[in-house]
Amino acid sequence: MTISRRDLVKLGIAAGTAISIPSVLRAQTAPADARTVRMVLGDLSTFDPIVSTAYTSGNHGLAIYDTLFALDSKLRPQPQMVGKWGVSDDKKKYTFELREGLGWHDGTPVTAADCVASIRRWGQVPSGGTLIMERARDISAQDDKTFIISLKEPLGLLIETLASASTPLLFIMREKDANRPAAEQVTANIGSGPFKFNQALAKPGASFTYDRNEKYIPRQEPADGFAGGKVVNVDRVIWENISDQQTSFAALQSGEVDFVYDPPADLYPAIKSDPNLELQALNKAGDVYFMRMNCLQKPFDNVKARQAMLHLIDQEAVMRTVAPQEYISAVTSFFGNQTPYTNDENTGWYKKGGDPEKAKQLLNEAGYGGETVVILQHTGWASGNIIAQFLAATLRKIGMNVDLVPADSAKRSELLTNGSWSIFMTNESDYDRSTPVSNPTLSANGEAGWFGWPKSDEYEALRAKWANVETLEERQALAREMQRIQWDIVGTVLLGSALSPIARRKTLTGLIEMPALTAMWNMQKGA
Amino acid sequence: MAAYILRRLVSTIAVMAMVGIFVFLLLRLAPGDPAAIIAGERATPQVLAAIRQQLGLNEPLLVQFVHWALSILGGDFGSSLFSGRPVLELISLRLEPTISISILTIILSVTTGVSFGILAAWRAGGLVDRILTAFATLGFSVPVFVVGFFLIYLFAIGAHWLPVQGYVPIENGLGPWFVHLILPTLALGLPYIAFIARVTRASMLEVLSEDYMRTAAAKGASSYAMLFHHALKNAGVPILTVIGLSFAYLISGVVITETVFNLPGIGRLVVDALNSRDYPIIQGVLILVSGVYVLINLLVDLSYTLVDPRIRY
Repeated sequence: MTISRRDLVKLGIAAGTAISIPSVLRAQTAPADARTVRMVLGDLSTFDPIVSTAYTSGNHGLAIYDTLFALDSKLRPQPQMVGKWGVSDDKKKYTFELREGLGWHDGTPVTAADCVASIRRWGQVPSGGTLIMERARDISAQDDKTFIISLKEPLGLLIETLASASTPLLFIMREKDANRPAAEQVTANIGSGPFKFNQALAKPGASFTYDRNEKYIPRQEPADGFAGGKVVNVDRVIWENISDQQTSFAALQSGEVDFVYDPPADLYPAIKSDPNLELQALNKAGDVYFMRMNCLQKPFDNVKARQAMLHLIDQEAVMRTVAPQEYISAVTSFFGNQTPYTNDENTGWYKKGGDPEKAKQLLNEAGYGGETVVILQHTGWASGNIIAQFLAATLRKIGMNVDLVPADSAKRSELLTNGSWSIFMTNESDYDRSTPVSNPTLSANGEAGWFGWPKSDEYEALRAKWANVETLEERQALAREMQRIQWDIVGTVLLGSALSPIARRKTLTGLIEMPALTAMWNMQKGA
Repeated sequence: MAAYILRRLVSTIAVMAMVGIFVFLLLRLAPGDPAAIIAGERATPQVLAAIRQQLGLNEPLLVQFVHWALSILGGDFGSSLFSGRPVLELISLRLEPTISISILTIILSVTTGVSFGILAAWRAGGLVDRILTAFATLGFSVPVFVVGFFLIYLFAIGAHWLPVQGYVPIENGLGPWFVHLILPTLALGLPYIAFIARVTRASMLEVLSEDYMRTAAAKGASSYAMLFHHALKNAGVPILTVIGLSFAYLISGVVITETVFNLPGIGRLVVDALNSRDYPIIQGVLILVSGVYVLINLLVDLSYTLVDPRIRY
């Protein structure tokens, strides 16, 4: 084989091109703008944070809407849109005055009428709002800045309820949006919050862009939880919807995104070993995982069978399928691990490692006759998926006849509604377990209540009382009583608690550390 | 020819009507409740019922179908149950990434696959043939997502040459657009390169063994003339068929590629819509994709006459 001069020239040109390609390509993949933060926060499919209880909708709401009150880092309510407020001597009439400078993204001012319409709409969905609507004699605007809530009887929990961070939060919308029925979505995305939704750059299913609301006037107090001044330090936040977790991680590594919400636990070692990345638990109290049993069907219509499950579960073993040891803990209080109402009433059932023998005994006492136990296996939720499999194996070990039914979110929701199941798993933030009035998962009102439908009139009477008592000590005493009943009727079996850290690039700092929802203000992005 | 095209178009209408009925029934009879996805897990049955009522999901199936069919005939594909945006607008937003990656994949696979096939047939039994056959087997066997993550690891995280994910519209510059599509195109194109190469090789080998090829060689025809003027033209029909079918199947590969490389295309639109049971979107996309599929088949059939003058309709 001979090499001609022409071949050499061709080779030289090819080599030169090949060598120059990396620099050309690098120029096309330059790091993102330092004033833009890119966050992977899940799939935002429902914009209306009143219609949906999904955390993604709540995050969207936090960005573009504002709230009358908000919880600080110690979960105490603080005024946010409200400037001044007061309560009458008989504690039946609350007066609220909006602070100066509040305006909608369309340029019009926020009025008291907007707030009234928003409270009324919020009152139509399962939330603290329903309680307020039940108790309200009148909710009306007095002038452009002032509105009142008149009550039929005092409601000690009113301000806490208005400030609740349990989804759906009371986001204030324009009157014309809030006048829609609660079942009809508001998609205008015009709020009065610290970020404006950029409709022109919205790419449903791909990314949504939030621009700093330059007209937003933050409160003077420093940011503290969801309360205080919502100061925005970046020009733009891009909500990236990267559905594949491995791709999200690769994008984080390469600097294409700055933040990944809830990365899978098997990626923790890789994140920790990368000098540019960090894991950070924004929700310091973690999430409580629990299972519900169908109290309307065999075998769990028998309380002994439900009690068997309470004794059977080895919480540490269950949670190790979800996260490493350092991120998990057992939880024995019905009110979570770190809420003001956490207590040890009636927790004698807890035994490290579980108690299969006791479970078998209770199952025999329940007269279990081999009925099929249908466990819903949530294929769209990695943790739930694996817990379901683990649980099925655990139940089979004590002789139960288990049928695992795989279901994506939509199928699972339908199965849950029509009742063709025995057990399903879910989780919620530890904080959510401190709100028995607004959180349907903490109810025990039978078929009128949440999936599983446990019933205890005694418990419901105490839950109704919760809203009326004034002091923390009184509510803590109620919590002990409620927990005693819950661990007798066993509407819920706790599976344990786990921290779900977010992953971020170290250049992104100042993230608000609060339960469940992710705030976009206060963040700073370094070089 | 005109009568044939007319016949095919009429049959296309019948096919599309069947597709419409099938898609509608399949979705509505499959388990899943969009109201539950909208409202979230903590919604009560009362709230779910109100949302279903609002979305018209409580109406009898036949009434829903008639509404939908009449709307489609009027060119209205409905609106997303979630975002409320018109389906055609959502599809049009997603078309560009899918068309971009499809065109690049077609160009890459046809040029490379046919070249590899010709080369392998020309050097049949030799080292080049063995290498290309091994490559084709590998390319055909390894799943798209494995190739995708391997390429990401190599060129994006390792070498920092290319972006991991995302899409830049062509209006923002040809360079960024192209750079974001290199890895997805390679990942998606590999099995098609392999498939086309194998079929081209087999078809070329068959033609190369014909008597007239030996005659051409005896007459002193050059290798180029033999391969491209005599063999490729005669081997063209099966190759064209495979190319046509490959790109009709491309959509399934696009779904995975768009997920791995986070491209906001039609594939991901369908997957997201399926997960949330956003019926109008799924129905709209499937009707359009079916239409394109039928059209590609028609074009492939018509193209036979260009390659092989003996074929007449």
